[in-house]
Amino acid sequence: MYGTQSKIDLAIEYKSQIPILRPSIHSRRANITVKFQDIYGFTVEGNVDDVNVLNEVREKVRQQGRAWWALEANKGANWYLHTTIGEGNALKSSLKFSALVNAITLKKLIRKGIPPVLRPKVWFALSGAAKKKSTVPESYYNDLTKAVEGKVTAATRQIDHDLPRTFPGHPWLDTTEGHAALRRVLVGYSFRDSDVGYCQGLNFVAALLLLVMKTEEDAFWMLAVLLENVLVNDCYTNNLSGCHVEQRVFKDLLTKKCPRIAAHLEALEFDISLVATEWFLCLFAKSLPSETTLRVWDVIFYEGAMVIFNVALAIFKMKEDELLLTHHIGEVLNVLQKTTHHLFDPDDLLTVAFDKKLGSMTTNTISKERKKQEPEVMKELDERSKRLNSFQMDEK
Amino acid sequence: MATIGHNNLNAKLVLLGDMGAGKSSLVLRFVKGQFLEFQESTIGAAFFSQTLAVNDATVKFEIWDTAGQERYHSLAPMYYRGAAAAIIVYDITSTDSFSRAKKWVQELQKQGNPNMVMALAGNKADLEDKRKVTAEEARVYAEENGLFFMETSAKSAANVNEIFYEIAKRLPRAQPAQNPPGMVLVDRPAEGSRAASCCS
Ligand SMILES: Nc1nc2c(ncn2[C@@H]2O[C@H](COP(=O)(O)OP(=O)(O)OP(=O)(O)O)[C@@H](O)[C@H]2O)c(=O)[nH]1
Ligand SMILES: [Mg+2]
Repeated sequence: MYGTQSKIDLAIEYKSQIPILRPSIHSRRANITVKFQDIYGFTVEGNVDDVNVLNEVREKVRQQGRAWWALEANKGANWYLHTTIGEGNALKSSLKFSALVNAITLKKLIRKGIPPVLRPKVWFALSGAAKKKSTVPESYYNDLTKAVEGKVTAATRQIDHDLPRTFPGHPWLDTTEGHAALRRVLVGYSFRDSDVGYCQGLNFVAALLLLVMKTEEDAFWMLAVLLENVLVNDCYTNNLSGCHVEQRVFKDLLTKKCPRIAAHLEALEFDISLVATEWFLCLFAKSLPSETTLRVWDVIFYEGAMVIFNVALAIFKMKEDELLLTHHIGEVLNVLQKTTHHLFDPDDLLTVAFDKKLGSMTTNTISKERKKQEPEVMKELDERSKRLNSFQMDEK
Repeated sequence: MATIGHNNLNAKLVLLGDMGAGKSSLVLRFVKGQFLEFQESTIGAAFFSQTLAVNDATVKFEIWDTAGQERYHSLAPMYYRGAAAAIIVYDITSTDSFSRAKKWVQELQKQGNPNMVMALAGNKADLEDKRKVTAEEARVYAEENGLFFMETSAKSAANVNEIFYEIAKRLPRAQPAQNPPGMVLVDRPAEGSRAASCCS
């Protein structure tokens, strides 16, 4: 069809290609840096300890896979689809109870990670992508890609420009086939929602979706559900106003949950959006190692966009002591960047992200916060564009 | 603003310009001496620092490499606020990118720090056969607007160190000793002229 078949089970193929590296004592002493591919084919540069961590993670992924298979054997193949409670009173109470049990089991299980082989299926079902796809004719994606073939717009030009600049060097994404698939998804989406068109950042998100999902079409629907249902509105449209709102909400949250860090950063005049913009727009795809990013996405697709706040807070929280010792914006950025790039064990991050000590947030509180920030953001963006327009008037 | 502490100067520098003009490539060339045929698109901005020795002083640049796509424009003030210097980059093979550069200049003139040292970089100078913007046109524009102008190539390294060096020389030295926002006085020795660190 669209040449995506050959990448089916890509992740699994890689797994078998990667030699398990067992560093010797000598190399440990030398603390050499090695380059190797992770389970999604990304080249990772790390020291011997990082390699060890990744090997442990691989083992944990295997165990987690066994836990999922055991549950399937026990509860049936699609047990996780039957977790919605309260739909229709006709449900017998015993069924309701089992749905509730499933929902609790599922939430815990997902926070511990969805095994890479099951990811496409589970994401597609639980994110709402399957439902979205089912509301349009079967041929929607085919028709869309055919209809837009050969059309040139501002968005398609920018997409073409970014194709080779999206995870360059990746063994599948950075091939003619990979570029073509990514192009169809991004161009297709730019026509589906012309307000979004193409926003830089989506290239990285769509690329990871392509790597995870079994087909290009499913990747497209995941992108659609993400932008249309999961994330806040207008994250990627003209002024990135949604993203501005998220940044402000996050800033307030940091002040509430990590007051010492917030006060210190404030004193350094470090605006958290200096670092968090990329986190929110690429959903960590450019900052965290691939499996860690996807573990975050596992939870985002099931629990919602507020997970981004949990994770962003956790990154700061994990490095509280170090951050409090910084004297300079550059140092703060170095600490944060070193931290994110080396978070090879997803559990290190997610344990902190969902720790009760950080205090629970609900989608509700986040929505309220967003409502509060929106008018201010709109006012600011509006004033800015007026100012810019007035320069152009002066010119004429 | 640039700040001085003994002979060390800290200066915030921002790169602005159209997507794909070569902002990240210029920084990568300056900071690490490398060039990548395909450089990842920048989202938000990336931070780097690099120290240069100029005459009797060292200048530590804190460099903000911003995202070029139009819609990221709304984030730019956060990066150019308080900047001591700016490099506005265009691609000599694209007239659109030159128009974008002019808009940036205009914005900085109205909104930026009035003492900001501004440089205009006509990048990808190695692509002579695809040239769309003449050096003459850009030079005239730069003169009229009080910028200094160089054609650069991140690929061949031509004029890359030079443009940063030239900025370092032009930074005002006689700043009052009080800390302007976002800047910290350094009085420990700079970590050698190629000591670099980067963040994205
Ligand atoms: N031939 C040539 N190519 C260059 C030069 N500088 C950059 N490029 C190429 O142009 C493309 C874009 O360069 P970047 O440095 O990523 O551009 P940017 O301005 O940072 O782009 P955004 O991050 O999207 O705003 C890359 O593929 C570079 O390899 C140059 O001097 N000569
Ligand atoms: Mg860039």
